[in-house]
Amino acid sequence: MNSAIVKPALAVYTGLFILFLYAPFIVLGILSFQTGPEGGPQFPIQEWSTYWYRHILGLTPPSRIAPLPIGEALIRSMVLAFMTMVVSTVLGVLSAQAFRKRFTGAGVVFYLIVLGMMVPGVLVGLGMALVANALGIDRTWWGTAFALHVVYTFPFAFLVMLAIFNRFDASVEEAAWSLGVPPARTFRRVTFPLIWPGVLSAMLFAFTLSYDEFARTLFSSGRELTLPLAIYGTFSVEIHPNVFAFGVLTTLFSFALLAVYAILMGISVRRARRLAIQEDIA
Amino acid sequence: MADGLRLEGLSKHYGDNIALADVSLSVPDDTYISVLGPSGSGKTVLLRVIAGFEQPDGGTVQFGGERLDGVPAHRRGIGFAFQNFALFPHLSVRDNIAFGLMYRERDPVIGQRALRTKVEDIIELVGLTGLADRGVHQISGGQRQRVALARTLVTEPRLVLLDEPLGALDANLRGRMRGELRAIRQRLGVTFLHVTGSESEALAMGDRVIVLDRGRVGQFDSPDTVYNQPASPSVARFLNCYNIFAGRLEGGRFVAGQAAFATGGTPRAAAESAYCIRQDLIQIRSSESPPRDGEAGILASFVTSEYSGASVQYFFEADGGRGVEVEAHLGHRRPEELMPRQPYNLVWNAEQAVVFG
Repeated sequence: MNSAIVKPALAVYTGLFILFLYAPFIVLGILSFQTGPEGGPQFPIQEWSTYWYRHILGLTPPSRIAPLPIGEALIRSMVLAFMTMVVSTVLGVLSAQAFRKRFTGAGVVFYLIVLGMMVPGVLVGLGMALVANALGIDRTWWGTAFALHVVYTFPFAFLVMLAIFNRFDASVEEAAWSLGVPPARTFRRVTFPLIWPGVLSAMLFAFTLSYDEFARTLFSSGRELTLPLAIYGTFSVEIHPNVFAFGVLTTLFSFALLAVYAILMGISVRRARRLAIQEDIA
Repeated sequence: MADGLRLEGLSKHYGDNIALADVSLSVPDDTYISVLGPSGSGKTVLLRVIAGFEQPDGGTVQFGGERLDGVPAHRRGIGFAFQNFALFPHLSVRDNIAFGLMYRERDPVIGQRALRTKVEDIIELVGLTGLADRGVHQISGGQRQRVALARTLVTEPRLVLLDEPLGALDANLRGRMRGELRAIRQRLGVTFLHVTGSESEALAMGDRVIVLDRGRVGQFDSPDTVYNQPASPSVARFLNCYNIFAGRLEGGRFVAGQAAFATGGTPRAAAESAYCIRQDLIQIRSSESPPRDGEAGILASFVTSEYSGASVQYFFEADGGRGVEVEAHLGHRRPEELMPRQPYNLVWNAEQAVVFG
């Protein structure tokens, strides 16, 4: 292979790929600075302004364009994502811990757990709605929808933790037991600090997957909408650049979340590297 | 003796693999026991069963007069030192050592002062003074070994199991740690059960040596007895210092292929017939001087030699391609100039051979 040709070609390909990946977002970002309230969601930009950002925050004089109904939906989605993150991560850690030992039916249980992320969301959502109706349960974002979010995100947390435990050297736990430390305390003082980077990743997965979940939530959340549903609702009337402005803001929020993750991860990876060095020398 | 460790009929299988076939033995208190076995002889499994990390398929472990069936590892009061040390990577040297005292179930040490005193004492005992606040990644392999040992010893177990504790150290350090392990054990009066695949380590460290052979106790004796009077051909094989000839006894002589050796004393009963002679008891003579009365010998051609400072290892080949090794200690003999592919008489005192028939 001639690397003088292949390397630049690969670079161009990668550049195009990234452009393709981010072009929609860039367009969205540019259009969010359209003038308002008369400017529409298309080029050309008539005049640059931050009108739509102020519009979201309710800082513009009243106009014919209704403010985005996101205030409560945003809080609902965040609370839901947080609840889902906590429950799925706890379940994921515990079930992965269970899978460290062979037990009867391990194979079946594994596929049953993983099934939660495989089945089509719309079907599960619809199924949940039917079951809830049949049993006379009210459909709510914190009840029926929450259950489906957990079913959906738990397998991701589980798989992350399974990979972490796969590389985990169990002799440190045995060492703790042989010092007279009971298993529960050993988990708290030895195992958990060592698997913490994996737990962080599982949390991030669960949170982000739940935060923008649509299909499962659509049928199972009842009257009170989550953020993705609320935004989708505005599309059916007329699209204004305020949706784009909101998209930019939530993306910034996601970046902030990622930054927190990166910082926490950096701290624990530095700790884990010590372990790696220790093993190299030994 | 009754309070020490007693194993009765321990067995453990992994599928078709027999790790422990039938291990019964009784270990007195306050001794250094080494367990010698080749890889796959079940020695690590034995330690793990005693420690409670694995359950035996059959048999019992008794310790301090109590049966330990079903007693979880953290309630056994038996220390364990791992080959890879298994230090807690997220804790400092001090916190590693204090870990057991702080978090154990049975009377944890609560007072900061008492904890500090105990930890400082053991740090001094194992020679880690000044390193207490380092991370376990910031110290050398030998120092890690000491941390692992200190971490176990500070909890005052009556029995410490050591799984190839010197295996991860380089040769130089290994030699020094041997002496230190023995000294530390003597000062504390605990029992050490030290598993190793190295015959020299087993003989040097143990007050008594257990030789494991395919999941059974092949021999349990003093190092001197194990070395000079192996209980079976396999034990002799593990010692790595015997020439072992297969064959059969015929009227006071041992016939091995075309060779026949004189025997002295009564042969020992064993499942497998074999004639064993230690490599350092053999003399090399010219092909014109055959064994005299009371001597046995074999004609073999010289192949090559290996010089290792204090001794030389000579490799010969007898009839049928059978290898014979001779070890000559240079303090007693000059190295001999041997011609490759020339025949020599390898001769030994028949009384010194160990014969199984």
